[in-house]
Amino acid sequence: MSLERFQVITPAHTNYRDLVRGLTKEIWPEFMLHDQVANENWHELFDRFSDYQLALYDTQNRRVAGMGNSFPLRWDDTLEHLPEGGWDWAFQEAVRNHRQGVEPNVHCAIQIVLRPDYRSQGLSMPMVQAVRAVTQSRGLKSLIIPIRPSEKHRYPLTSLDDYITWKTEEGLPFDPWLRVHVRAGARIIKVCHESKAIRGTRAEWEGWTNMQFPQNGLYIIEGALNPIEINLEQDEGIYLEPNVWIVHETG
Amino acid sequence: MDTSRFQFIKPGDLPDYRDRAGDLSEVSWPEFMLHDPVANENWHELFDRFSEYQFALMDTAANRMAAMGNSLPFHWDADISDLPEMGWDWVFLKAVEDHKNGVAPNIQSAIQIAIHPDYRSQGLSTEMIRAMREIGRSKGYEYLVAPVRPNQKSSYPLISIDDYFKWTNHEGLPFDAWLRVHARVGAKLIKPCHAAMTIGGTRADWESWTGMKFPQSGAYYIPGALNPMEMDLEKEEGIYVEPNVWMAHKT
Repeated sequence: MSLERFQVITPAHTNYRDLVRGLTKEIWPEFMLHDQVANENWHELFDRFSDYQLALYDTQNRRVAGMGNSFPLRWDDTLEHLPEGGWDWAFQEAVRNHRQGVEPNVHCAIQIVLRPDYRSQGLSMPMVQAVRAVTQSRGLKSLIIPIRPSEKHRYPLTSLDDYITWKTEEGLPFDPWLRVHVRAGARIIKVCHESKAIRGTRAEWEGWTNMQFPQNGLYIIEGALNPIEINLEQDEGIYLEPNVWIVHETG
Repeated sequence: MDTSRFQFIKPGDLPDYRDRAGDLSEVSWPEFMLHDPVANENWHELFDRFSEYQFALMDTAANRMAAMGNSLPFHWDADISDLPEMGWDWVFLKAVEDHKNGVAPNIQSAIQIAIHPDYRSQGLSTEMIRAMREIGRSKGYEYLVAPVRPNQKSSYPLISIDDYFKWTNHEGLPFDAWLRVHARVGAKLIKPCHAAMTIGGTRADWESWTGMKFPQSGAYYIPGALNPMEMDLEKEEGIYVEPNVWMAHKT
């Protein structure tokens, strides 16, 4: 696919909000849209970090092919100590830093996605590069990402710590999305085991998944990286999503 | 069911019956299910020894085999609540052995009712069960038993069959669609048979059957399987033990 056809646009583009509307619903399984930290804070991306949001615009079809969401935050410790709370932590930390006027020193991406019909066409790398260009233009030296490995959902019974060690014959990560980043020069830091916490009642989970949960226990959910745990006494199902902290050093 | 369009046939009614039946099996089951050694070594016995217990439902308008039923007779003196844990594999071997030894059968077991995907949700399964039961009735047997594969268990691979087979819907009928079809036409749930089929293969076999990779030993979720599959790389073997549920129809 010819890359000239695509243009990186930001929220400054007049139709940006309309163009990206509905994109996340197309991309994620329903339950993924119920992370409380995401839902309470999503507007902050546009209110506080507008310059860090971008989309890949297909000028030929006048559609958005993919989207990159990120923000700056402050991290003075070694990257090896990045928190277990991954995605949820980073989002809250960035908002806190901004509110308190703390000068950021790291760039963190929380979503880099392509619409299903734009996948497997060589657009993943341009998307990653577009986000990395933001890191550089802001004078930040590291882009950190709590990555959601794209094929882990097929291996829900394997721990993510083991899964990230799986390699292809070329010695690159087995997981396609991790592989894209490593090919682009990223380094895998470690797993963050509770990157997102998604909670719902039994009825909510039944609505999100089209399954039934008649008893307590672990359930494999389509599209989830680990099983969810249902507790009927508390009328609650909990999904803890593990992600992988990776870093692109751009400086 | 439109009775003028659908017609029951026996193996002798079509010169290519076995080819068509083989094609129907292939589209009805996930690939790994076609690698049970007991089934593969003994399938021909259905036609060599028990031909009158095999039948199919033809869609005469489209000249297609819409469904097929396979069963066999065996001898059982104990109570049906004592039927063995090895369910499907056991009953197939028992029937062949009885026939070889000239032991007169007194009971019938179903081993497969396969509905072509294009013909599901049209009530054909009920007609297939009735037709199968009619064979046993004509022989004067008291029971048609069946190691039933609860097909929706594949969405709940982490729930034990002992729990799952007790799940009910709001009408008090079994939650599982296949168990429910049998129950609706009068069958009683007897008990699970935990090792109804045992399917073993090398790592390479399983990789080709499933399109997955198995880089380490452990339990894996396999689409379409009722329980996880256990891969042991030291032994170079993956084993899937399929649980079924013994049900009994009084003819």
